[in-house]
Amino acid sequence: MISGRSNNGWVIWFSLTVALLLSVAPMPGNAELARPLWLGLVIAFWSLSLPHRGGLGAAFCFGLAQDVLAGTLFGQSALPLILIAFLVLSLQQRLRMFPLWQQSMVLLVILGLAQLVQLWLNTLTGNRPPTLLFLVPVPVSALLWPWVFVALQGLRQRFAVY
Amino acid sequence: MFVVLCVVLMVVDARFEALKTVRSQMGLVLTPFYLVGEMPGRIWRMATEQIASSNSLMAENEKLKAEALLMQRRLQRLAMLTEQNVRLRELLNSAALVDDKVIVSELIGLDPNPFTHRILIDKGEKDGVFMGQPVLDASGLMGQVVEVLPYAARVLLLTDVTHSIPVQVNRNGLRAIAVGTGNPDYLELRHVAETADVKAGDLLVSSGLGQRFPSGYPVAQVTEVVHGSGQPFAIVRAVPTAMLNRSRYLMLVFSDSRTPEERAAAAAEAQADADQKAASEGTGVTTPPAGAEVDDAGQSPAAAPQAPTSEVVQ
Repeated sequence: MISGRSNNGWVIWFSLTVALLLSVAPMPGNAELARPLWLGLVIAFWSLSLPHRGGLGAAFCFGLAQDVLAGTLFGQSALPLILIAFLVLSLQQRLRMFPLWQQSMVLLVILGLAQLVQLWLNTLTGNRPPTLLFLVPVPVSALLWPWVFVALQGLRQRFAVY
Repeated sequence: MFVVLCVVLMVVDARFEALKTVRSQMGLVLTPFYLVGEMPGRIWRMATEQIASSNSLMAENEKLKAEALLMQRRLQRLAMLTEQNVRLRELLNSAALVDDKVIVSELIGLDPNPFTHRILIDKGEKDGVFMGQPVLDASGLMGQVVEVLPYAARVLLLTDVTHSIPVQVNRNGLRAIAVGTGNPDYLELRHVAETADVKAGDLLVSSGLGQRFPSGYPVAQVTEVVHGSGQPFAIVRAVPTAMLNRSRYLMLVFSDSRTPEERAAAAAEAQADADQKAASEGTGVTTPPAGAEVDDAGQSPAAAPQAPTSEVVQ
């Protein structure tokens, strides 16, 4: 986070850490297929509401952390996360005006793109998922967006993070 | 800029060893995430165990005792058989089959990616775990270690698409390669001729030919052989004998790294010792206790050069 006067930056880091935790938490059986892209959602929220706090750097750091946790090549999940942060940042002016459901529609597309990049990288490293089921997390995450947004917005206002 | 960094990192990580230390340092910090993530499940299990009625505990106790008795009986026979095996192998002048050393470890996490079959276990570099180490559970081979962190290791299971293992049919020694299918329920045998003698129900054991897995451990049981499907080879499916998605406690095997000659020498030495002992004790060679003793003597020289661990089970 590259801000001159940062306040309560720990809230951002904390929420990202919780997202990282959720992304490796064990899930029962087939629910694993529909694991929401927690890190993507949280990164998207912070890039959307605080664009000046540098979402790209955070996306990179936590992407690398996720790579270590998942045992993939360094950068393999960092790249999609950076893509999410970049797209949200560039659409930020418009996105912040949208109602929640419309935001989640846009996020559906953005997360889908990120998942496709992920697929491309996975194929390059030699383990291609056999079916289109790898896209299931995208609609699930998009449906979760309003709740994530409201929760994080509450957190942000409670701790006055600007 | 970050994108370029990412791509560079990926290439470097894929081609060179330079990032291994960075990864293991980060792993040191990040491994607790799995533990924390698993906490609710662990607490739940502990709670149910606490609340479990004494009735069911007594029943379980009874069952375990019966099982232990059964195992002891088999162990007694095994001692005799091992002794006999060493003797026969010495006659054949071939390498002795010595028990491998194992340490027990616990499963601490699954890979978050549902399309790969990898698990995380709670033993790492500090416990002597190394790349490519074979992993077993109580009923068969599970996979091999593919990544070593300081206090954890990642295990690639047999059923992962990128995994294959040389096996042989236990009944007739026919060799084949069992590859993972990405489906946790079965493996497939590659390049098995249409006329090959494989039947449903055959046990596949590791052949040890890949020099990675020790030979003779059960791998899978053939369930289905499809002939004449218009393909050049028969389709053979087999169910892994290890409970890949149920086992909680796994065993890491430290194979014997000595050459066959050294092992043969050690076995011969052990045999000589055992013979002396038997001679000094009298004629009681065929009774199980004496057999067990010989067995111990046969294993102790083999156990010396292996990795230091506190929880050694033989």
